Amino acid sequence: MFSIEAQDKKWGTVFGGFESNAQWYLNDKGRGIAHPEQPVRSNNYLFLNYNYKKWTTGFQIESYEQNALLNFNPKFNGTNFGTYFVNYKSDKIDFTAGHFYEQFGSGLALRTWEDRALGINNALRGVRFIYKPTDDIVVKTIFAQQRTGFDVSRGKIFGVDFDYNLNSLFKFEKSDLSFGLLYVGRKEGIELENPIFSELTSVFGSRFNYSYQSFYFNGEVNFKSKDGVLNVQNRLSNQFVKNGNAIALNMGYSKKGLGLDVSLRRLENFSFFSERVPTNLPDGNTSLNYNDKILNFTPALTKQHHSNLSNIYVYQAQNRVDFVDQSIMKAGETGGQIDFLYKFDKESALGGKYGTTVAVNLASWYNLPGRYSFVPADYDVDFFGVGNKFFSDYNVEIKKKINKQWFTALYLINQYYNRRFIEGGEEINSNIVAAEVIYSFGKSQSLRFEAEHLWADADRYNWAGGTVEYSFNDKLSVYVWDIYNYGNKNELNQTHYYNVGGAYRKGSSRIAFNYGRQRGGLVCVGGVCRFVPESTGFTLNLSTSF
Amino acid sequence: MKKITILLLFLFPIMLFSQTKLPNVTIKDVENNSVNVAKDFTEPDKIYVFSFWATWCVPCINELEAINEVYADWKKELNLEVIAVSVDDSRTQKRVKPLLNGKGWEYKMLLDTNQDFKRALAIANIPYTIVVKNQKIVHIQNGYNQGAERELFTFLKSLK
Repeated sequence: MFSIEAQDKKWGTVFGGFESNAQWYLNDKGRGIAHPEQPVRSNNYLFLNYNYKKWTTGFQIESYEQNALLNFNPKFNGTNFGTYFVNYKSDKIDFTAGHFYEQFGSGLALRTWEDRALGINNALRGVRFIYKPTDDIVVKTIFAQQRTGFDVSRGKIFGVDFDYNLNSLFKFEKSDLSFGLLYVGRKEGIELENPIFSELTSVFGSRFNYSYQSFYFNGEVNFKSKDGVLNVQNRLSNQFVKNGNAIALNMGYSKKGLGLDVSLRRLENFSFFSERVPTNLPDGNTSLNYNDKILNFTPALTKQHHSNLSNIYVYQAQNRVDFVDQSIMKAGETGGQIDFLYKFDKESALGGKYGTTVAVNLASWYNLPGRYSFVPADYDVDFFGVGNKFFSDYNVEIKKKINKQWFTALYLINQYYNRRFIEGGEEINSNIVAAEVIYSFGKSQSLRFEAEHLWADADRYNWAGGTVEYSFNDKLSVYVWDIYNYGNKNELNQTHYYNVGGAYRKGSSRIAFNYGRQRGGLVCVGGVCRFVPESTGFTLNLSTSF
Repeated sequence: MKKITILLLFLFPIMLFSQTKLPNVTIKDVENNSVNVAKDFTEPDKIYVFSFWATWCVPCINELEAINEVYADWKKELNLEVIAVSVDDSRTQKRVKPLLNGKGWEYKMLLDTNQDFKRALAIANIPYTIVVKNQKIVHIQNGYNQGAERELFTFLKSLK
């Protein structure tokens, strides 16, 4: 922050950050890949704010030169103001005009956020008023349009959220109870003759959050009013009009050394966009492919693995109605996830000198059970029960510190992926084993080894992978890794995806460099995915904040 | 490319100064209480270490594990508090409490569910750790490799 002080009077502060992600795509004869027409591309973001007492104003300039990185929304091109705002904040009032990011509850009905790696910035541009009459009540009201590219969507968004913490009302000491109510409306003209559904699509929701000592229990229910459902050609009609709902429950028990968490969620026709019909884009895709104009957040409730091979088959939450053909019809998803964490104490039988932590994770996701019809397009689903299995992931993670210098971790993963239903393709059963060893020595030097193997019975079959990473000190590190698809039935595709690179970090700044081959497929960040094409080249990342 | 060069030239003088004050952001802690980041950590001469992490970030968890091992010793030598700020969004936020207890961590835990605190500090990557004393940010370190907590402690002792 740059503070200008003149004669004891402060003139406010300037703060922000800069980030640049650049790639130079190359030809790769070994894989038969030719680089795109503009081989040097970068996504750059400059975020600047000025704060004076209770007022803050700022903007974010985005620059996509020569063009955005491959497979980003083609609407991101050139240089322009991405977001801008003015904000006034006091103890009871918070008012923003311009772009803002907001989340109601867990985001099931409304969430706007930025994720640069995925090319998502669905901020709302309008006005937001947050009022806190007491310490226990928060009321939010919004009226806005959603950002899309450097423009805004047609739909007008209205929202109200009410959050009430009941502890002081009931004089709770050991427990905690709060509840909330929300309304989100999207008003957009309908391009149909005599539509049988309203221009205003509404979502009503309620939620509660309860905890008592080591136990906790929370839930959220949302209903979406009748709205046209897109058919196979992404068109609306009066013949396919449905309402939607979402329910999420979470409960757990957590005390020192032990944690248990269970999450259940059912989504039925619960996509929510700021424009009903996706726009066709010049590259042949639609705005749907780029997570554009999404109002709500329904991430895949599965574990985010960090090894390379365990991120090959990843699940995307199926929140919307999607009829592909007579045998593949989806109306949403239902399922759950269980997490169990346990720490074996130091000096105990399994604990060893420093203790051992074990984490078990189980997740299963299914289509909604019921009756589906392709022509005419319709469905009638049951609330309880499950339909076709989409995905499952059962895994164990064991971490153990051997002594001050040696750290080990072991990951065992079993996955099932019904790719046929989700993206098109086969059904895949896979098992993965990954082992990691870190050797820490000197002042803050360390060496990390990781070896992994994937057994699959379909698609690209078996893979093997290894990583070596060396940190010179707390600022500089280098790495090399490779994943080898040796088991591919097609010899031409038995590719080595090698990568070498490093990073230098000091204070709030970081510069990272990578050279290698990118595997084509889904790249997921926080449960939301985007598709990346196969590519080869150099990557440079810069980031800093001030 | 020309446009980027101009942007960077404009940026350079501002970059010479690093952020010194905590932003006026209110988020919840793991017990569902509201916490104002700028107003609730103001004990004079106390060292506050904010460590931004997420349940899916392995180096972040390694850093907090490593500090947990020596936290009691650190607290004996210095008047300090480590506050772990989880930037998990609602996909993984439910895993924070079981993980906190499952690993036996003693930190104060904040939940930055829609990343308001992270965004206000313009944090691009985690792990990201800031050290605050007398309401001023005195040190920032991004990233973590095994053993880096020892360097951090050396710096913290110099603040005494």
